[in-house]
Amino acid sequence: MKLAPQSVPYRALQRGLGFAVLAFFILNASDAGGTGLTVAVAAGIVLVALAYEAAYYQRFEYVLTEDTFDISSGVISRREREIPYRRIQNVDVSRNVVQRALGIAAVDLETAGGSATEGSIRYVTVAEATRLQRELQRRKSGANGSPGELDEHGEPVAPTEEDLFAITPGELALVGALSFDGRLIGLLAFLGSGSVPVLSGFIPTASAAILTATAIVAVGLLFLASWVLGAAIAFSNYYGFRLSRAGDELRYERGLFRRYSGSIPTEKVQTLTIADNPAKRALGYASLSIETAGYAPGQGGDQGSQAAVPIARTDRVYDLAREVEPFGEPSFHRPPRRIRWRYVFRYTMVVAALTGILFAVDWWTAGAIPWYGPLLLLLAVPPAAHLKWKHRGYWLGEDHLLTRNGFWSRQVKVVPYYRIQNVIDTRTIFQRRWYVATVVADTAGTGSLMGSNAAAVDFDIDEAVTLRRELNDRLQDALIDRRARRTAFEWFEGDPMEIYGASADAGTDSAADAGTGSVVDVDADDVVIDDAEADPAVGAALDADDMAGTDRFAGIDGVEDVVDAEGVDDTTDVADAEEGDDGMDAADAEEGDDADDLDIPPDGVIRPDFSVSDRDYSQPAERVDTGDYAVDRHPSDADVPFRPDDESSSGGADGDDDDTEHDEASADDDATPGDDRSGR
Amino acid sequence: MTTQRLHPRVRIVWVVRAIVFAGLFTLPFVAGFYLGYLPEWAPTVAGGVLLVIGVVHALLRYRRWSYEIREDELYLDRGVITQVRTTVPLVRIQHVDSRRGPIERAVGLASCVVYTAGSRGADVRIPGLTPDGANDLRGELKRLAIRADGEDAV
Repeated sequence: MKLAPQSVPYRALQRGLGFAVLAFFILNASDAGGTGLTVAVAAGIVLVALAYEAAYYQRFEYVLTEDTFDISSGVISRREREIPYRRIQNVDVSRNVVQRALGIAAVDLETAGGSATEGSIRYVTVAEATRLQRELQRRKSGANGSPGELDEHGEPVAPTEEDLFAITPGELALVGALSFDGRLIGLLAFLGSGSVPVLSGFIPTASAAILTATAIVAVGLLFLASWVLGAAIAFSNYYGFRLSRAGDELRYERGLFRRYSGSIPTEKVQTLTIADNPAKRALGYASLSIETAGYAPGQGGDQGSQAAVPIARTDRVYDLAREVEPFGEPSFHRPPRRIRWRYVFRYTMVVAALTGILFAVDWWTAGAIPWYGPLLLLLAVPPAAHLKWKHRGYWLGEDHLLTRNGFWSRQVKVVPYYRIQNVIDTRTIFQRRWYVATVVADTAGTGSLMGSNAAAVDFDIDEAVTLRRELNDRLQDALIDRRARRTAFEWFEGDPMEIYGASADAGTDSAADAGTGSVVDVDADDVVIDDAEADPAVGAALDADDMAGTDRFAGIDGVEDVVDAEGVDDTTDVADAEEGDDGMDAADAEEGDDADDLDIPPDGVIRPDFSVSDRDYSQPAERVDTGDYAVDRHPSDADVPFRPDDESSSGGADGDDDDTEHDEASADDDATPGDDRSGR
Repeated sequence: MTTQRLHPRVRIVWVVRAIVFAGLFTLPFVAGFYLGYLPEWAPTVAGGVLLVIGVVHALLRYRRWSYEIREDELYLDRGVITQVRTTVPLVRIQHVDSRRGPIERAVGLASCVVYTAGSRGADVRIPGLTPDGANDLRGELKRLAIRADGEDAV
């Protein structure tokens, strides 16, 4: 599909204007010619820009294919990019005032890889932007294994949108009142630094009193201006903020002049942060931000997280957070009380250092500075230490780790165990003196690049070690939980009746001959491949030259080789092909009655059948959806043992057990098909 | 797998590195001396102190370093001044590199870098491996990562 035609003049102006102005200035400055020449050059630049943008428009094309979103673009150097739907983390649409007048919108697609926006479409019509957003969402959930919601005719229905949060005028006013934009001060300081010599010329003539008064007034005005500016920016940013849930994604909308709207799949949420400060706490307000792996939305810009609730009543914030990640009622566990002495010590050192510096200055300048002034701060040390201790803590919920830190800007972080990337336990030399440690649960959220990971700080070493183990265990449990659901789900990929029926036709004898061992492998491999596709980790691990290594290892293990290796290969292909071609239908069918009255053959095994497809299985699968990662093109060659017990289970007995488990798991899960989707 | 120590020769790598750093950080002192701002002994003392600190740190670092491949995680214990213990669940491993720096090549060692999607412990380096050991470790980790069957590693 093409961009909106209106985007051509807009882009040309956007691009050409800067050059034109630059050329104007250069020509004016150099007095190279009259106004006529200047105008001609500017017009020429605009024309060139128009031509370029027309060509850009001509060459830019995007297509929604079966399972990828393809963008081909570029005038001089061409680029074809395919973004698998399931890799898309966020879809954002933004429109500024001019774009709104022209009826166009910018669409940005974010994936977890890379820092830049992976798919940026500038610009399409507003209707098309909305359609893209919805369509991508629908296909994304389809690609993730759960079929997009379909009505009885198999047509996609838009999931009902349920409002979670809408900013009230009072809250908006509060956001404005609490916003302060420091950039103006920075700018003035920057400009001012250049003008100091100029100003100093006037200074001696004025009296000290007037100077001081002027300075105070100027600084006051500056702060007032910064505050008004901050309020205005916050007001225009968060005007009409609305957060809603549609199916398994969150949608937000905000902005007065520049409208932003976007979607975040709840599946991709990495961390929730609930932040407040003493003032907000006293008034009963807090703010919430949602981090995904693509980026914390809007991080590229200066407005902070786009899906952040800037301010709301604390209970509303918690309700909303629970809506996204149901973490229950936290009761935080504080560090040991003795740790307050550590903070007392630390703050005393700071006060001592301050006093020392002032004393040195005093001594050096021989002035009469009251260098002992900071010693008054010592009075504040004990309460500060107590407060610091009081606001630290962590809590292990059913599925989430919650940590809390900070008094002045307190942050409660909610990390689902399933999202933990690694657990880091650090003890500085000072912490060791107090026999405490810090445990950090690292996630893939980009917000944590600023070092604000979920951390349980200053806990007793024994407790920290337990916590570290606990987090790892809970992550493993969460993974197993996920895997059980997923495995069961993938098992019924394709139409079960068709598979069984055809398999029975094809010959039960051969099936019996193949034996249980091969069945287990079929099952296992099925899972490996499906997951590899869904999974950047394995995907990335499987880079092409490493693949050889895998083969080698598999060869040494020799598990698959013992059993019928070819059978395994073929099966993976089938799973693959099915996923590509009729994954949606199959998954849809699975929801129906078919699965319920599926009778299991005597040997308890449902076999895929190769005869129903006209694919040539001697060839590798044509294309494997692996995202941006370089992954083996021939996944059917990957004879990788899947479970730890595979190494020992080439015999029949183990295999049998495994298989039964799988069937049970599948059956269980199938009884409640909704779980898989609505769960998270 | 039981707890693994690094190859003893890694101490050479770290000591050489400490010497290089001590040399680099002594340069300003040398310059100060030549320009006449600092007394003659300043560069020597600064260099000596830096060298001693660096070498002692390198040796202590070797004593502290250990790693272990556990059932479903990679566990690293290291750090002299700040002790760091990292657990990387095998499921979360994105990819594994083995690399060899110039000093490492000179003493015949290699290291292995494990990448995850995490923001803070995004890459974990295990130094002081023999080249074969590094390759084996890489292969082993990769095999385990695949077996651990990560789904959404993000």
